[in-house]
Amino acid sequence: MAILQAIGLVKRFDDHVVLNGVDLTIETGGTLVIMGPSGCGKTTLIRCLNLLERPDQGQILFHGESVLSKEIDIRLYRRKIGFVFQHFALYSHLSALDNITLALRKLQGYGREQANELARRELAYFDLSAHEHKFPAQLSGGQKQRVALARALVMQPEIVILDEPTSALDPLMSQEVSLLIKKLEARNITTVCVTHDIAFADQISQNVVFMFQGKIIAQGSVADLAKASAIPEMNWFFGKKRYE
Amino acid sequence: MNEGMPAFYGDLFEQSSLIYLGLWATIKLTVVISITGFLLGIVIFFLGLNANATVRRLVEGYKSFFIGTPLVCIIYILYYGLPALGLRLSPFEVLVLGFTLNVGAYNAGYLLTAYNGLDKSQLEAAVAQGFKSLQVYAYIILPQLLKSSTPALTNQVIYNLKDSSIAFLVQYPEFFARMQELAAGNFDFFRAYLFAAIVYLILTTVIFLFAQYIERRNHWPGRR
Ligand SMILES: Nc1ncnc2c1ncn2[C@@H]1O[C@H](COP(=O)(O)OP(=O)(O)OP(=O)(O)O)[C@@H](O)[C@H]1O
Ligand SMILES: [Mg+2]
Repeated sequence: MAILQAIGLVKRFDDHVVLNGVDLTIETGGTLVIMGPSGCGKTTLIRCLNLLERPDQGQILFHGESVLSKEIDIRLYRRKIGFVFQHFALYSHLSALDNITLALRKLQGYGREQANELARRELAYFDLSAHEHKFPAQLSGGQKQRVALARALVMQPEIVILDEPTSALDPLMSQEVSLLIKKLEARNITTVCVTHDIAFADQISQNVVFMFQGKIIAQGSVADLAKASAIPEMNWFFGKKRYE
Repeated sequence: MNEGMPAFYGDLFEQSSLIYLGLWATIKLTVVISITGFLLGIVIFFLGLNANATVRRLVEGYKSFFIGTPLVCIIYILYYGLPALGLRLSPFEVLVLGFTLNVGAYNAGYLLTAYNGLDKSQLEAAVAQGFKSLQVYAYIILPQLLKSSTPALTNQVIYNLKDSSIAFLVQYPEFFARMQELAAGNFDFFRAYLFAAIVYLILTTVIFLFAQYIERRNHWPGRR
């Protein structure tokens, strides 16, 4: 059964149609990759999925129920979706540990001790134990990313959405990020990952969707997409030769 | 009285209890308006972020009005104008009201400047985690703003202390008024106002040292 489904999503900014009827089904478990040229609407799509942007038309169903209906508590829904921003967006006045515990304490009602214990478990899981007292400005890009991931996971989300997790890191780090994403799979968390990086996409999933001008126009493995030639831009994007 | 000693010192000693009361009145006024001005500044700043454009415009108007008009003018309006409307306030109440309205406008401005330098993606991250906008304000925005605007906010406390010397204009018996009386009694204006200046300098130094202490305590790496 699909955990999250977008049906006919339309999003405009003024007169600019950014999402032009997106249909997307995210199955429970596993990793879905969203690819596409710059400006095609990938970030807008995932922002709509957790309602950071409100779509102008269409439906978003979580376990088959509309999250756009008035009865649903948006904030409760958002807690079930971990969101990792492209530039990590850590709270700069809080240590790594407090970044992870803030929502536990203020939203879930955990006491400090209990929250710290849960957070330390995540920190250990991501090899960050030595850095718990550091502030974001004292962490490397890769460490920040893992703190951001730990901050999302400590809330026990059903889905984790990552926007371009490799773009703010050096190319060698993308190998490590793909291992992190494998770790999410091992924890049975459904993962949605936006990326530009074809090799990276190929490493993390066989389930890739290709977006173009506000629509999803193809779905399959990287090899499938590279073979398919729905439009010239897609051939160009996948650099056809490499995957033949 | 010693022949060689200026009358100033004798008068200073004689009036020391009045001067002491004046100093106390000055400190009381400074402390009260610093606190009320601080709190009003936070409220005004918060209203300035309101999604409603009318609210934002009202806040802008408020700030422009109080930053653009001399404080003395506002205090005179309250002191002489309110009784005509049937509202009679004590000099202290008039001063607290006038200063608070003025200082709140300035403090809201400092907070807005700090807010503009804030990395806004953190606010979205908090929303994405499920925080309400009031919680984002309380847990993410305000702590960062208070820390990064500590220098401006404590500077304002120093201004408050110095500006409190206009309180004598509405018959509030603060320190500066007492020193004027002292000077008028023996015509030794130089010594009286030099003495007053030194006392103000000592008080502002205390505030400055306190501000430095707060800033050091609030420091975190990579502060913007
Ligand atoms: N808040 C906004 N207001 C106006 N236009 C916006 C806004 N957000 C995005 N857009 C526009 O929507 C289009 C798609 O943006 P989006 O960020 O979703 O693209 P993207 O596929 O994530 O691109 P990239 O790969 O460069 O990150 C762009 O043309 C962008 O200018
Ligand atoms: Mg993007």
